[in-house]
Amino acid sequence: MPNRVAIVGIGQTYHTGSRDDVSQPEMVAEAVRAALADAQLSIKDIEGVFSGNMETFEGIYLPDHGMAAEVGAFGKPGFKVNTGGTTGASVVTEGFYMVSSGLYDLALVIGFEKQDCGDTTAAISAAAVPTWAKGAATGAIGEFAKQALAYLETSGAKEEHAAMVRLKADRNACRNPYAHLKLGLKNIDEVLQSPYLVWPLRLMDFCPQSCGACALVLASEKRAKNIHKKPVWIADVEVVHQEPFRAGVFGDPTGKETYTQHVACERLYKRNGITNPRKDIDMAEIYEPSNWEELNLYEHLHFCDKNEGWKLIEKGITEIEGEFPVNPSGGVIATNPIGATPIIRVAEAALQIRGDAGEHQIAKDIKTAMATALGGPNWTVLFLLKRSL
Amino acid sequence: MQTVTEKLEGMDVWIYHGQIKIPNSYSAGAVGSRFLIELRDKKRIMGTRCPACNRVYVPARSICKDCFGQLDEWVEVSDRGTVLTYAVDHESKPIQPVEPPIIYGIIQLDGADTGFVHMLGEVDPEQLRVGMKVQAVFKEERVGNILDIKYFKPLA
Amino acid sequence: MSKESPNKKAEGPEYIRIKFDAPRPYNWSTGKYLGKVYAEAKENKKLVSNRCPQCKEIWLPPTPVCPKCKVDMGWDWVELPQTGTVYQYTYLVYPLWDPHFGEKWANPYPSATILLDNGVFYRHWIEETDKEKLRVGMRVQAVWKEDYDERGQGVQDILYFRTIEA
Repeated sequence: MPNRVAIVGIGQTYHTGSRDDVSQPEMVAEAVRAALADAQLSIKDIEGVFSGNMETFEGIYLPDHGMAAEVGAFGKPGFKVNTGGTTGASVVTEGFYMVSSGLYDLALVIGFEKQDCGDTTAAISAAAVPTWAKGAATGAIGEFAKQALAYLETSGAKEEHAAMVRLKADRNACRNPYAHLKLGLKNIDEVLQSPYLVWPLRLMDFCPQSCGACALVLASEKRAKNIHKKPVWIADVEVVHQEPFRAGVFGDPTGKETYTQHVACERLYKRNGITNPRKDIDMAEIYEPSNWEELNLYEHLHFCDKNEGWKLIEKGITEIEGEFPVNPSGGVIATNPIGATPIIRVAEAALQIRGDAGEHQIAKDIKTAMATALGGPNWTVLFLLKRSL
Repeated sequence: MQTVTEKLEGMDVWIYHGQIKIPNSYSAGAVGSRFLIELRDKKRIMGTRCPACNRVYVPARSICKDCFGQLDEWVEVSDRGTVLTYAVDHESKPIQPVEPPIIYGIIQLDGADTGFVHMLGEVDPEQLRVGMKVQAVFKEERVGNILDIKYFKPLA
Repeated sequence: MSKESPNKKAEGPEYIRIKFDAPRPYNWSTGKYLGKVYAEAKENKKLVSNRCPQCKEIWLPPTPVCPKCKVDMGWDWVELPQTGTVYQYTYLVYPLWDPHFGEKWANPYPSATILLDNGVFYRHWIEETDKEKLRVGMRVQAVWKEDYDERGQGVQDILYFRTIEA
């Protein structure tokens, strides 16, 4: 029987576009210190340090080696993980496996990205196999542009619906002190006036490049209860990958594609007795690189039926005051330090369960939350978090 | 944008001679910047000291690796030191600070408790010795980079 | 190797950034599977891929192991049709940095996912640059580089897919 794992410490930096005042290791140290302070632990208590980062973005090979001192990893076991967009989720999954196995009681998991040190699109384009796809330099944004087109053409949604999602994200981000982009948008016209970047995605439709780090302290059941008054339990984790051969990596008008989110949700929901996600789960922090993808994810995560995603935003169901709040933190579209982004989803969902999210705390009681991660080519990681098991 | 591909003799396999070039811009941070600015403006080498462990780190850094303490005590160290070890690189590689042969050394400056990597110059590889005393030679034009120190030369 | 510009602001401390953009050279091999695609493109102006002996699916690019069945794909090569239908498309408005070219560029041709006539998806560029004329469902045909000596870059030997007037 695997051991139960709880989150007992949460820390993140104030995410922003550019940080001149710290080097990459120093930025990560801020999140580590915050997580340790939240858990009221010293670095000496931590038994293993696991970090996640997409090296090509900063162009620093083996960044975890260079920051062993700054993350308190000197002399401790641990390793770095890089799985693309799901990096942060993979590192939380690693920490979860380590503590759940019984080999560790306290693990520190860290995700970070200092994107002002490099060029994100260049780095993602470098993932293209050069002997096959060279010159296809559209990075991630090109794939999401195609998804947006597919959704626009087949679901009945209009550009206004995507703009409503962007407005929701910004309203929530303005209430989150850690969020990066706080534009103060007043209405959807402001979104609809922003220029096209890679058609049909507009500048405001896509996530920013942020600098930031997020760290969690994970504890085994026997230690968790003595460390934090409000441990948040990681009830379940599901990871599903997919090969990149399929055409509609993120958007499929034919409806014949099997998406990793479907597979992952089916397994996770079945294991946990979830038959009506919007009722059985109280909120979700999902990984949406673009507002169009959020509409897509509502459907893939079974929050609604196919081609109905845009109706959820139209009716306000996923607003922070709505029946099923999604991304009260502002989501990825407001804050995206890629290596940290999935950990921030878990951290924000955990804060909601604890009731510690401050100004962006959801009013209704949150007992169960879901955090998701997405990475190219459409890899999925799902977390189910609970206040009590 | 033409690609350079080359077919191998006798088989249907091609090699693409390519590159990855991404514009990077690394932030030195507040502590790193002060260290580099001291090199540039005053030809001074600075370290930071951990009072709990009584250790001076050169180049200056902000966190002690052992006690995790925040370091804000600045100490000037000597521009002279000892070579802890060295290696001579004869090969020409794509990204190198200077033309080969390059003599790399780990140098512990007087007053510092850590060694750091730099180059040795004005010395014949035959004369290199572990433990030899060296002194920093600064460039005339400095920009705020570790290479503002041109190399370390042996003390007579 | 690197040149840095101190970030002097009007007020406040000076922060240094170290800039580095030297190209890192790499040599990538196609291996024998992708090599077969290169050979057919260069010699015969054909697009080929291999077919799984078990599920009979064709995967692009070719692969040694079937992603679905996990069996050895073998050497059953199939010629793919050169016509298809545009399934999805997008075009760059601003130039983006391409790490293989080492500079920013905006590909003038839209990039599209094309459903070839035998049901296999393939991503490439399409010739039509007039935004008004682009639509999902348009019929396109591959246009190859005619000069034999210029070919030898695999699927880059196809310049783009041209719209076939219906």
